[in-house]
Amino acid sequence: MRRRTAAVSVEVKQVIGALCRLLAAAGLEPVPPPDNFRRAKFDGGPEVVPVENRKLVEAGLWQTGYHADWMYGISGGRGGEEQERVCSRDLLLALGWLLATGKLEELLTWRVQRLDKTLLTPPPVNPQLPNKLQADSASLRKLHWLIGCLRCQGRTLLSMQEERTHLLHAVFFARIASSVPSSSSSDQSSAVLMEDCVCVQQLCDLLEAYLNWKRVEKVFWTWMDSVLDCHLTDAVIKKSTPDAPNGSARVCRHGNRGLGKLEEMLLRLPPGQKGQRRGRGDAEEGGGRRRSQGGSDTSCLPPLLSSLCCQPSLSQVYRARLQTGRPVRHSSQPAEGPGGGTETPDELPASQAAQLLLHTEALLLERRDRQRLANRTQLQEMIGRLDELVLIPP
Amino acid sequence: MSIVTVQLGQCGNQVGYELFDVLCGDALEGQRRVYSAAGCERFFHQTTRGELVARAVLIDMEPKVINQSMSRASRSGMWSYGETAHFSQKQGSGNNWANGYCVHGPRHRDAVEELVRREVERCDRLAGLMAMMSVAGGTGSGVGTYVTQCLRDIYPKSFILNHLTWPYGTGEVIVQNYNSVLTLAHLYQLSDAILVHENDTVHKICAQLLNIKHISFGDVNRVIAHQLGSVLQPALTADSRGLYGRNPLGELVSALACHPEYKLLSMCTVPQVPSVSMAYSTFNWPSVLKHLRQMLISNTKMEEGKLYRIQSQLSIDWQVRPPAGSERTRSLSGSGFNRSLANLLVLRGKDVYSAETGGFEDPALYTSWLSPGEAFNSWKSPVPFNKYEKCATLVSNSQALLRPLDDMVGKAWNMFASRAYIHQYIKFGISEEDFLDGFTCIEQVISSYSQLH
Repeated sequence: MRRRTAAVSVEVKQVIGALCRLLAAAGLEPVPPPDNFRRAKFDGGPEVVPVENRKLVEAGLWQTGYHADWMYGISGGRGGEEQERVCSRDLLLALGWLLATGKLEELLTWRVQRLDKTLLTPPPVNPQLPNKLQADSASLRKLHWLIGCLRCQGRTLLSMQEERTHLLHAVFFARIASSVPSSSSSDQSSAVLMEDCVCVQQLCDLLEAYLNWKRVEKVFWTWMDSVLDCHLTDAVIKKSTPDAPNGSARVCRHGNRGLGKLEEMLLRLPPGQKGQRRGRGDAEEGGGRRRSQGGSDTSCLPPLLSSLCCQPSLSQVYRARLQTGRPVRHSSQPAEGPGGGTETPDELPASQAAQLLLHTEALLLERRDRQRLANRTQLQEMIGRLDELVLIPP
Repeated sequence: MSIVTVQLGQCGNQVGYELFDVLCGDALEGQRRVYSAAGCERFFHQTTRGELVARAVLIDMEPKVINQSMSRASRSGMWSYGETAHFSQKQGSGNNWANGYCVHGPRHRDAVEELVRREVERCDRLAGLMAMMSVAGGTGSGVGTYVTQCLRDIYPKSFILNHLTWPYGTGEVIVQNYNSVLTLAHLYQLSDAILVHENDTVHKICAQLLNIKHISFGDVNRVIAHQLGSVLQPALTADSRGLYGRNPLGELVSALACHPEYKLLSMCTVPQVPSVSMAYSTFNWPSVLKHLRQMLISNTKMEEGKLYRIQSQLSIDWQVRPPAGSERTRSLSGSGFNRSLANLLVLRGKDVYSAETGGFEDPALYTSWLSPGEAFNSWKSPVPFNKYEKCATLVSNSQALLRPLDDMVGKAWNMFASRAYIHQYIKFGISEEDFLDGFTCIEQVISSYSQLH
């Protein structure tokens, strides 16, 4: 058993080594050694993200759709505003997310296009497949046809590649054989050739590394499962003695965290809305309890309503309010004063309520767009100031 | 961008010679530098003295035809075959496919492969290989199949096109149908596309259109060469980005034969007129294309010269000749309408860009699962071909060959049922199972084509 575990861990180390080589070949320097990955699983290692880069990392991850506690300074169970330390396991999980979303393939494509300047971007092939794929004979025949078409194109490309190699070889050997005394133009041409040679070599290394990685990828994901298990187990242990902000009973930590985050978000809103919030607090609690507890590890509310995750919870709260006969009110309205309608019974006419909602929506959208623009500008300024970081926008 | 041709057997060597003659004549004609350069590069290799040497390997089990072809080529003064690019033996294959495939093929494999390799290495880039043969005899069919198999092994990624000449229905070789079935069954797995010319059809063209009184094999071969050449010479294709295409076989295969069950291609060319009348004939694209389309729909390979009344664009009013054959063939292609899987139109000559090819993009011509956009392709060249001011060739993957194929299999099966001449094949190593496999394969092809709706 011990030998098997040892064998497995050796295999995992080799697999991670393949990943590291691939990342290095893709131009992402410096790549941590495989052992750092293993230690990261057990949350070892020092604070790995320098403070000045932390915001960049968070912003970059958020743009890919990744949301984790540490990105919002929210730590489940502990409350408060202090920024949680980013541990290496969090980063490892984030890396797993990025790999799963295909960022690696995007990066590789970008890198290949930079290394191979003769690549033509092919026109997008529209196979004109019907929307619902039936398994009847006509669709199968069409599929066979398309596969055959692709194979032909593949063979054509292969022969073009061979011709190109053949010609490059001829050019290179003609250059060597001619032994002309070096003039500026021949120096230039040989420099260009050397550069091309280096690029092709890098390209080959990259593609080989990718192939090697693809062969062993499954093992990596099995190992990542175990990392995630560790993470979840630790999280449960941490929360076994909860420090609830409101003191009310917790049903499940996912839903509680959602509520906790909502609370904190609302805390940060301008004071004009605080009155409203207080009035809604009970309803939210109720809604929160009634809400079915589910959700993934990464479900948390990004700034101000731009994620799908938060909509269910809001609509749940929404519904709770309607059931109690309260006037329809959005969670974060512009400062209209607390006396707007919190105490009055359901006497607000529908047309007025609709108008109110539309107005609110417009204001919120405007605010969101302004915020986005500001974020983007800030991000670009920060990137501009740094040398070695490249921003790959989504 | 160069095609290496392997000429196999008597028929293959004779047709091949005519083909290179047409190609060379066309390439060297007039002041068409770019076209000439492209055409020469594709089919010929230039020696240091500027002479054109065909990129071809000649293979036969008897020396007579090879010697004839080589000497005729040298005498032309314009081109020649490579002096050592041929292989022959003293005795033939006796019209026995098994003799060719099981005995001669393996015995001389190394020599043949070496010859082909030499030709391939002389090419800057290999566009593909074309094997030319007949299916009726023993060498072309048997050795040809074996050689195709070897080429497929050596060049797995290259495009391999087989040009087959189908024999006269009432041909001289008793076992021609056995040979044909065995050849087709094997080639279907090996080849990327199978281009077919039927002797019967070409004979009719010679008789009725070209007004030749005493038709020789040379006349027939020249018609075949003209049709084949009109497809293989350089042309501007959709993928070639304004230059002459450099991947003719690949583009042919991807335009017509992507589906592994549908590889049989037939051709027809308009116009075909005697050379003496050429000077007095005027052609215009609309009438040329209209005739071609009629020929496609009604599955006739030549303009009948009669007036047809066509009610709508598709429902054809005239009586399509009932197929001379059994009940079975009547039901093969349903209403007699020739359904296509894919079509390739090659237009060459003056004002080619003004030619309207919309008639070939009618969805009713094609099967339902392939849109006309994918099923129809056209290549153009502003350069007149082989002395025709305007020339249009349609290469079609359609039900056109269904009836001849079915006839062939029917006759072969009748003979096999009584095991006639089977012992001659068994003694060289082909078993009855191999025959049955062959029949099954061809029946599958027939079934696939019958079901093109």
